[in-house]
Amino acid sequence: MTLLALLAVPLAAVAALARARGPAAAAAHGAGAGLTLAAAIGLGLAVAREGSVTALGGLLRADALSAWMAALVALVAALAAAEAPRHVPLGEGGRFYPLLHLFTFTMLLAVTTDDVGLMWVAVEGTTLASVFLVNFERSRASLEASYKYLLICSVGVAIAFVGTVLVYFADVQAFGHEPHALRWTTLVRLAPGLPSRVVELAFVFLVIGYGTKAGLAPMHTWLPDAHSEAPAPVSALMSGVLLSVGLYAVLRFKTVADLAAGGAFAQRLLVVLGLVSLAVAAAFLWAPRNYKRMLAYSSIEHVGIACLGVAFGGPWGLGGALLHVANHALAKSVLFLLSGRIRAAYRSAEIPAVGGLLAAMPRTGPAFFVAMLALMGLPPFGLFVSEVMIFRAGFEAGWPGATAAALVLLVIAFAGLLRAVHRMAYGTAPTPPAEPDGWLSTAPVAVALGLLVLTGLAWPPGLATALGRMAAALAP
Amino acid sequence: MTHAANLLAFLGLVVTLLIVWRQSWPGRLRLFVAQSALLAALAVAVGIFAGKPGLLAVAAVVLALKAWLIPRALARIGAGTPVRPVAPGRSSAVPVLVAGGLVVVAYVVMLPVTRATELPTEGAIPLAFAMALIGLLVTVTGRDAFGHTLGFLMFENGVFGLALLATYGLPGIVEAGVFLDVLAIVLLMEGVVLQLRREGDAAGEELRG
Repeated sequence: MTLLALLAVPLAAVAALARARGPAAAAAHGAGAGLTLAAAIGLGLAVAREGSVTALGGLLRADALSAWMAALVALVAALAAAEAPRHVPLGEGGRFYPLLHLFTFTMLLAVTTDDVGLMWVAVEGTTLASVFLVNFERSRASLEASYKYLLICSVGVAIAFVGTVLVYFADVQAFGHEPHALRWTTLVRLAPGLPSRVVELAFVFLVIGYGTKAGLAPMHTWLPDAHSEAPAPVSALMSGVLLSVGLYAVLRFKTVADLAAGGAFAQRLLVVLGLVSLAVAAAFLWAPRNYKRMLAYSSIEHVGIACLGVAFGGPWGLGGALLHVANHALAKSVLFLLSGRIRAAYRSAEIPAVGGLLAAMPRTGPAFFVAMLALMGLPPFGLFVSEVMIFRAGFEAGWPGATAAALVLLVIAFAGLLRAVHRMAYGTAPTPPAEPDGWLSTAPVAVALGLLVLTGLAWPPGLATALGRMAAALAP
Repeated sequence: MTHAANLLAFLGLVVTLLIVWRQSWPGRLRLFVAQSALLAALAVAVGIFAGKPGLLAVAAVVLALKAWLIPRALARIGAGTPVRPVAPGRSSAVPVLVAGGLVVVAYVVMLPVTRATELPTEGAIPLAFAMALIGLLVTVTGRDAFGHTLGFLMFENGVFGLALLATYGLPGIVEAGVFLDVLAIVLLMEGVVLQLRREGDAAGEELRG
């Protein structure tokens, strides 16, 4: 029931927002985002109680991992929804608001369906729903960004389709036309008997395909343009959770590949991709010029770190990766939302054009500064803890060289980010920017930063159990 | 079954190579329609021989979508651009040669698949995969939005052929979702390209994927 509600609410919001104008649109938008978050929390509680929840004859299924991802999507969607009216007036946005909720729906569907074919359709749907959102400002640059985004992600996700077909082929060859052969639960049950070479081949296609969506280098080329050209709430959703949805798909298939072909194959592949992503990000972050692009490249860096955690595996690696995904979603969505305010105030996304942020914007400035420190992985914020977990897993799993290389790249990115944030925070403002009014504008940001301190300092009860259950489900 | 599948997949590959060879976009579009029609025929053949009537419906959808609706959208994307690339004397020899190499690559990559099966359609599997790889080549080397979109659709056709030959089609809900997605991609692509053109730019020609 909660599972169906989770998917029905954003769809209802899409339908309502397609017609509503004025106050009715505001009500539908607020209720849609709020109820989606409530349903996601409800789903989390139900999964904590019962282990897993299914609906529609097993087509939809949420285990601990699905519930975790759904909660993240709904939380970031709520943060983005609270900020959206600042960028696009409610009732005047045309297709913007319906598509924003449709985008949320496709991501929620991707993480709550048990059918890997339907998951593919949903992941492709995330691209389709968000292309117009990227292009909302209709500038030449945003048009080009959305073209590149649509083309590269469509081709990438189509490559993942080759992998899906090959997995289905392996399944049909080994066990005949089983009912529900494309369900993840069926695949995991049958995986030890699948032809290992075919599954390895399929996994390569799946990693390239869903890796494109996750923003892993070298398939990341769409990401910096799309993230920097989209309106701030859309960038927050894309960077905060869309990339994680891509990684989620890789994770699901990694379980199948590990069972069919042994863990070493997938591990090597993901370590290489994680390191390449970190290297590409570090090279850019050393001297960034545009702060939205800087945040976009930092997403590639963090996806790379999470990918390494997934590769190293074990409770520390997997738990660390999943915690890292959540921490990054919180920190990055806050940063993108604040960067939207900074851009509106300074009328530029160039770092040299922004100065004296702390003094000129007394609420946005310090919040941006603190969130940047969190993003860089400094304690007491959660990213520090999840990074330590992942690197510990790396040394334990027998990858000291890769782990050390990742640490070096992390330090390079750290130095670049620190230099950029220093330039933005201090100095004098070129033109006196205007701070958005009202303490309410800082409330969502404060909530997200508070959660980050919580995952960094004192884990709420149940978090360790949840991470353990997710790791156990992925490595049966 | 083996003969029919091999023949249709082989013809599909020939048409694919012809698309690489042709330079004028209306000519390439007609060849794409032929490729889609061949795939529909393949779906009918597999459906009849494997006793899967659902594939006949799939073939009808392929005809309606990829041989009629999508080519119309593609024609709108191509309209307004020069029929041939501007640079004269540009030879198609190198792309055709690379595409030929990709056929060999497809055979090598698909070895684990063809070794794992005794299906009557086994021999045609690498041909379909070669079609997909050549589609990828056309996307990457495409000079304009028409080339990019055409390449993507060829790739998609190749993967569809692969699914037909290797698994006799996919579960209905997935198949329906794939068709919807492909249609939406092409329509969105058309929207973005037409908007770019309205921006006063010569058909977004310098855009590269």
